[in-house]
Amino acid sequence: MAELPAPTEDEFRRLCEYLYRRTGMVFNEAKRYYVERRVWDRMAATESSSFAIYFARLRTDMEDEIQQFVNAFTVNETYFYREDYQLKCLTSDLMLERVREKQSGDVIRIWSAACSSGEEPYSIAMWLLENWPTVDDYAIEIVASDIDTRVLDLARAGTYGKRALMRLPPELIGKYFDALPGELWRISPQLRDSVSFTAVNLVDPDQTWPHGQFDVVFCRNVLIYFDDASRRLAAENLYENLFPGGFICLGHTESMSRISPLFEVRRFADAIVYQRPEIKQS
Amino acid sequence: MSAGPKTILVVDDAALVRVYYRSILEEAGFRVEEALNGLEALEALLGKPADLLVVDINMPQMDGLTFLRVLRDRADPLAAIPALVTSTESAQADVAAARAAGANFYLLKPVERGQLVEFARMLCGVAP
Repeated sequence: MAELPAPTEDEFRRLCEYLYRRTGMVFNEAKRYYVERRVWDRMAATESSSFAIYFARLRTDMEDEIQQFVNAFTVNETYFYREDYQLKCLTSDLMLERVREKQSGDVIRIWSAACSSGEEPYSIAMWLLENWPTVDDYAIEIVASDIDTRVLDLARAGTYGKRALMRLPPELIGKYFDALPGELWRISPQLRDSVSFTAVNLVDPDQTWPHGQFDVVFCRNVLIYFDDASRRLAAENLYENLFPGGFICLGHTESMSRISPLFEVRRFADAIVYQRPEIKQS
Repeated sequence: MSAGPKTILVVDDAALVRVYYRSILEEAGFRVEEALNGLEALEALLGKPADLLVVDINMPQMDGLTFLRVLRDRADPLAAIPALVTSTESAQADVAAARAAGANFYLLKPVERGQLVEFARMLCGVAP
């Protein structure tokens, strides 16, 4: 499949529109190469001889092509303990604030809203086990989601290479991973069972609200792929998914203030996070 | 009881709690098995007896107190396995209820690392 025909200007525009409607992600002429590369991959995989044939296949969702297509467009570069200052903030401030209004035995819910291949939710679980001394005092529930079902399968399998583990101290690797042949490591079954994985599109409220409200949401380096309108929509959905007083952590280059006025900015020692305002007592 | 490491069955519905207790107890030289509630624990014990039970109270399907009552009512050696109850229920009445159901000790969550190991060793008859 060396000579795949490029989509015409018009086809390209329709494709980008389609992608935007399905995912909220914005691609334009500037990203043409990026888009074409992925379309070619999917055309080759589905043995479509022209773009028109492929696009028809996509629109009719033949053999689950929509999900395959979305999967091809998501970026999944991450590693364990990435942006660990936010994990520090989780145990030194956020959890303390959240348990203030809870009783022993209550549930604390944490959502890794774009979990990719699982590094973030497993990092949260490990970090809590290592750094939150009263981990057995509350029923901590970790939900992890991504729009990309392919990475969710990877997350459930929990097998990682050296790169994903580069920031983890060796003793933690020994404690929470099983070494496999070929410089691979698999997350321990116990840790895997502490996270529940599910597919969620953050701009679709029908997909976000069934998961209920959370105490802390991690949504790092996701909204940067959205345009303003989808970003606001996602922010509003996330807001609904937070308890009053609940926190949301974004990537270090992202700012919620630029996206939505719904949240309050909180500056802690280790990180800046956004908070759904508490209900005012009258 | 057989030589080699003692086996502890951790019965708790919270996954992170099970991982936490497992890491503490394994580091102290115990073998650890897990069950998510009382029913699962009964089933696990029928398959393979344990030397000690670490049991939470509030669990779905069968709570810790019901589990201990059912266990203590049995006519076989399983009825005599010592049980350490860990719970967030702090009222005197809860402690009394756990004792009445057949708990040997009652620890209030959060349980400290050292405390868990100390009680586990004591109830398993292992020298520190």
